[in-house]
Amino acid sequence: MSNNNKKWFSLNLGRKEKAASGSCSCGKTSGGCGGASNSHHITDEEFDVAAINASIGEERTKDGFEQVFDVKMDRRTAFKKLTASLLIGAGAVSTSCSVISSDENKEKSQIDWEEQFKGNYKLMTDEEKNGTVDRLVRSYQLRTGKTISMSSKNAEEDVLFGYAFNISKCKGYMDCVNACVEENNQDRNSQMQYIRIHEMKDGKGFNFNEADDNYYHEVPAEGHFYMGTQCFHCDNPPCVEVCPVQATWREDDGLVVVDYDWCVGCRYCMAACPYDGRRFNWSKPEVPEAEINHNQHYLGNRMRKKGVMEKCTFCVQRSRAGKNPACVEACPTGARIFGNLLDPDSTIRWVLENKKVFRLKEDLGTEPKFWYFMD
Amino acid sequence: MKSNINMMGKIVCFSFFLLAFFSCKHHENEYHSITDKIEAESKNYHGTSISSEAYIGEIETIEITEGEHTFLIPERKSQIKSYACTECHSKPLEKMQRKAIKKAHWDIKMDHANANTMNCVTCHNPDHMDDLKSLTGNTIDFNTSYNLCNQCHTKQFEDWKGGAHGKRIGGWAPPRASMTCVNCHNPHKPHFESRWPARFNTQKVKERE
Ligand code: SF4
Ligand code: SF4
Repeated sequence: MSNNNKKWFSLNLGRKEKAASGSCSCGKTSGGCGGASNSHHITDEEFDVAAINASIGEERTKDGFEQVFDVKMDRRTAFKKLTASLLIGAGAVSTSCSVISSDENKEKSQIDWEEQFKGNYKLMTDEEKNGTVDRLVRSYQLRTGKTISMSSKNAEEDVLFGYAFNISKCKGYMDCVNACVEENNQDRNSQMQYIRIHEMKDGKGFNFNEADDNYYHEVPAEGHFYMGTQCFHCDNPPCVEVCPVQATWREDDGLVVVDYDWCVGCRYCMAACPYDGRRFNWSKPEVPEAEINHNQHYLGNRMRKKGVMEKCTFCVQRSRAGKNPACVEACPTGARIFGNLLDPDSTIRWVLENKKVFRLKEDLGTEPKFWYFMD
Repeated sequence: MKSNINMMGKIVCFSFFLLAFFSCKHHENEYHSITDKIEAESKNYHGTSISSEAYIGEIETIEITEGEHTFLIPERKSQIKSYACTECHSKPLEKMQRKAIKKAHWDIKMDHANANTMNCVTCHNPDHMDDLKSLTGNTIDFNTSYNLCNQCHTKQFEDWKGGAHGKRIGGWAPPRASMTCVNCHNPHKPHFESRWPARFNTQKVKERE
């Protein structure tokens, strides 16, 4: 990787002097195959960062809808995006075949290698799901010395998750936002938040253009009401339709999820979402070690990386275990109601059948499973 | 000529067929709307293995049945610091309101309806302090104090029974446990206080400059 002026990428597997066999064919997974030279100019970590940077390009750091406007995409950036993934894999090979790396480093590289070329989570068997989860847990342990628990629990039969939000109850406290950020290990640097609470003027209808979602004054403010938005887990999600690599999909219990390891960061889904439900990691997400939530799910709050999409998952790590999402639990007013739409005796069903409920942009046919109602 | 017309007819027919096939792009669901789908798919709902029992945790609950709803609410009496009231209220009130006896309840300031509508004895029974009383003088247990509130707040009571009002305890899965009125509202001052939001996003401010 020493020659950055080249117009193509070549896989330098640490054997510059030897002209002959281009790839490591010794077949060993530990130990070296001999003949490796010491010509690495950057560390593996720097290398990963550079590769991901190449895949994101030089677009500005913006939030929400603004991110998807003015995106430059010429053939060169497109090509860079395609090769970036290959490069990361190549980095893993060069370490796993090296004689100078320790056994731990080799295990790390072995994991990296398997992770890099694993399949799409959506298509994995339960065994493969457990496999990748185990690798991720081990990898985290090798890197940080800390133990996390990660679940790959599938959707349960006879469950379809739905959400209802009481506009007359919400007082704009934003306790839900804080709880969500902490539960889901969202990037503290960019202050990412899945939930937005919109402060709206009474008598103006649901006017999102004039609403303020970053107020800071005593609440509830006179003459205003509050309305929360997040991913609505559409039953007919347009974001899923546009993903070129099927990195995002609808699970059987209705949750719309992202495989962070399959996402290529194109942000088509963000452009397709009519509800501003998706967030993008423009930089490496940072969470102080002490604040990391160690109770994780592969499709939920596990640590993300730079250049991938994320969003509300109705706290899949909690909801599939029977708990309420963090926002529901944190709300002091009881404005947020969550439950199983297929259970005729559930409280969410009672709300849908007995209150005057509505959804945003219903005419789009996206069928969000997030209803609003008033007392 | 005739075969041409025939051909045209076939093409038209075929394109109608195509149109009919693709215009109703309903993916995996053959339902017209999510509400239809919910209704149809919940017809043979068998229940799930998921339970939220573990998350109710230490909270002691009692089961109540109101109308067609049966659910758990937190037990109350053990949570009231100075229950039973008769431990102090051993004499009639007039006799207790003397200088010689230590003052109590000084922190309670009524801010609930107006003086024409309510005072202490609207809910408390001065002759029997360990229980509450209804407007007509019937006894209401402290554990089921919602029966006191629902005398006036009938609409909230309906919503609460169904689950549209009042926060759930534990999780969404059965068994259902809900907060009762006094778990969120101070009965002497039931409104929610105004306060500052829990966060302010400085990054958002920068991005929007
Ligand atoms: S709200 Fe947006 S991100 Fe969420 S499922 Fe719908 S379209 Fe997708
Ligand atoms: S950003 Fe990721 S999830 Fe979204 S469309 Fe692109 S690849 Fe799919």
